[in-house]
Amino acid sequence: MKKLLEITLGIVTSIGGFLEIGSLTTAAQAGAAFGFQLIWAILLGTICIIFLVEMAGRFAAVSRHTIPDAIRERFGFNFFVIPLISTLLVNFLVLAAEIGGVCLGLQLLTGIGFQWWALPVAFAIWVLLWKGTFGVIEQGVSALGLVTLCFVVGAVLLHPSWKDVGLGALPTLPSHDKSHYWFIAVSILGASITPYLFFFYSSGAVEDKWDESYLGLNRATASLGMSFGGTIALGALIVAAIVFPPRGITQLDHIEQLSLILTPIFGHWGLILFAASLCIACYGAALEISLEQAYLVAQGFGWKWGEDVRPKDDPGFISVYTMAALSSSLLILFGLDPLKLTIFSMALTAASLPLTVVPFLFLMNDEKYLGEFRNGWLSNGVVLFIIMLSFLLAIVSIPLEIFGG
Amino acid sequence: MDLFRDVLDKQLIDRNNEKLGKVDGLVMVLGEGAPPRVAYIEVGPVTLARRLNRGLGQRVARLCEKLGGARHREPFRIPWAKIIVTGTDVTVGLDADDTPIRDWQKWLRRNVIERLPGA
Amino acid sequence: MADKEIYLELLIGRRVLGVTGQTIGWLEEIRAEVQGGECVVQEYHVGRYAMLERLSAWSIGRALLHLFGARKSGGGYKVPWDKMDLTDARKPRLLCALKELEKLNIES
Repeated sequence: MKKLLEITLGIVTSIGGFLEIGSLTTAAQAGAAFGFQLIWAILLGTICIIFLVEMAGRFAAVSRHTIPDAIRERFGFNFFVIPLISTLLVNFLVLAAEIGGVCLGLQLLTGIGFQWWALPVAFAIWVLLWKGTFGVIEQGVSALGLVTLCFVVGAVLLHPSWKDVGLGALPTLPSHDKSHYWFIAVSILGASITPYLFFFYSSGAVEDKWDESYLGLNRATASLGMSFGGTIALGALIVAAIVFPPRGITQLDHIEQLSLILTPIFGHWGLILFAASLCIACYGAALEISLEQAYLVAQGFGWKWGEDVRPKDDPGFISVYTMAALSSSLLILFGLDPLKLTIFSMALTAASLPLTVVPFLFLMNDEKYLGEFRNGWLSNGVVLFIIMLSFLLAIVSIPLEIFGG
Repeated sequence: MDLFRDVLDKQLIDRNNEKLGKVDGLVMVLGEGAPPRVAYIEVGPVTLARRLNRGLGQRVARLCEKLGGARHREPFRIPWAKIIVTGTDVTVGLDADDTPIRDWQKWLRRNVIERLPGA
Repeated sequence: MADKEIYLELLIGRRVLGVTGQTIGWLEEIRAEVQGGECVVQEYHVGRYAMLERLSAWSIGRALLHLFGARKSGGGYKVPWDKMDLTDARKPRLLCALKELEKLNIES
């Protein structure tokens, strides 16, 4: 029974890592601008992340190391500094975007401007990290995250042509607005394949004390958990594709437009469900990223770390997540637009992906860490594909943002 | 044993099974007519900064001295006699609290963490 | 006179010169043995990978080259402790001819 609850690690990682402001907004934009044409991007992103997360879990369970810890051990401190700094920087911006997402949701619910919510939200993040255990965070966020199913329910209630939905799973070339199309495709992939996601999962697996006996569960958790996130994103895309174009909306630049997404289906409740989904998904992401900043630093420098450790015993770890939440929230306090910040940070995430996935590939083939559980040809093939994809994303993301954003 | 693969950058565990940091540096002593010996393991930000850049190492040393006193100017060294290399990590026959490694964490604990409710 | 101390972590990837000043490789690994409670250095492993002097590229670049069959370029050399001159720790030099050295096997 306890092992079944471990599925929650997958779901919470998915909700925080996969389903957050980036994936929700890109899915909605994809639907509004191109109908079902970009469904393949969501599927591709989901499949890639399932493989990466399964590998991260397998790595942690067999080697009992987390990925940042192993990167330093295997490649030395001088190399480690590179993914450390790039990931800390990217996480700082993404965390700010997620805090901004929670603030926007609260703005929609209360009418009070998002900037005013920045510090209260940072405090809410800190309090749960301070007082909660990893299990509580895992299961609490997973349970609350179920509200995002409203997108799936909404999609079904709209009776889309499932045949057309299926056709969207096949990659097609756009008939109009080519650079915008590819920009959204790149954004969807950048929003799905985030390093903090699989780093966090490896830390979570060690927090939950996984070992070789958890490998089967790991495969299930990775596939089901990430599929959960992917399905919700798909739901959001389908709803956007049906709701927005008939109303002449093909670009979603403001939160007010986006917030109307569920209103045609659920009426007044549509706004509330959307705002609640945004708040919870982004809050989960913010918890995860704050923790991940602390995991990165603590594991890289060999400090004691862990959510279940008494605060007295890991002051360094606690200081990092506290400073992470506080510093990122300042960007929102000073009024940076969360939606613009999201777009920018996703491009940056895509650009920095090679720095983390390449060392990860080597770790997954290292006999000392994984023994007989090293990657087989299929997993290696997928990672090599992801690396090539990540280099491609790294090269095109910034220019596309300038021309297609 | 291979020093870079099996010792450097590995996790250090103290006598009480607590994480102590990582092996940040190794000090080898050249002898006259005898093979060199690895005499100490070094731990600390000064050693790490020096690995990146010598000038940075000196600046970090000055900063550490300003913040923590003279005892923090030089990196902390653990003599080899206290070390056991296990392959997965490096065990040290010391108590972490007896070393200056944790000083800054102790400071944080006293002045920040313990002042917060529910610590 | 105090014995000379050398920081080994600063030796990783350093260019190693031969007796005539030519580059024979880059310091990859140091093998040691525990003898009587002391850690005694036995030999230095010098590999032949070019372009990787910068430390940050060293470890991952080496791994990449291994992956793409750097086996073709030959392993490198094992240098016993008494054949390496470390009076200038930034410029390690051989104290003997190359042909006296044992070759490194492909995978260290």
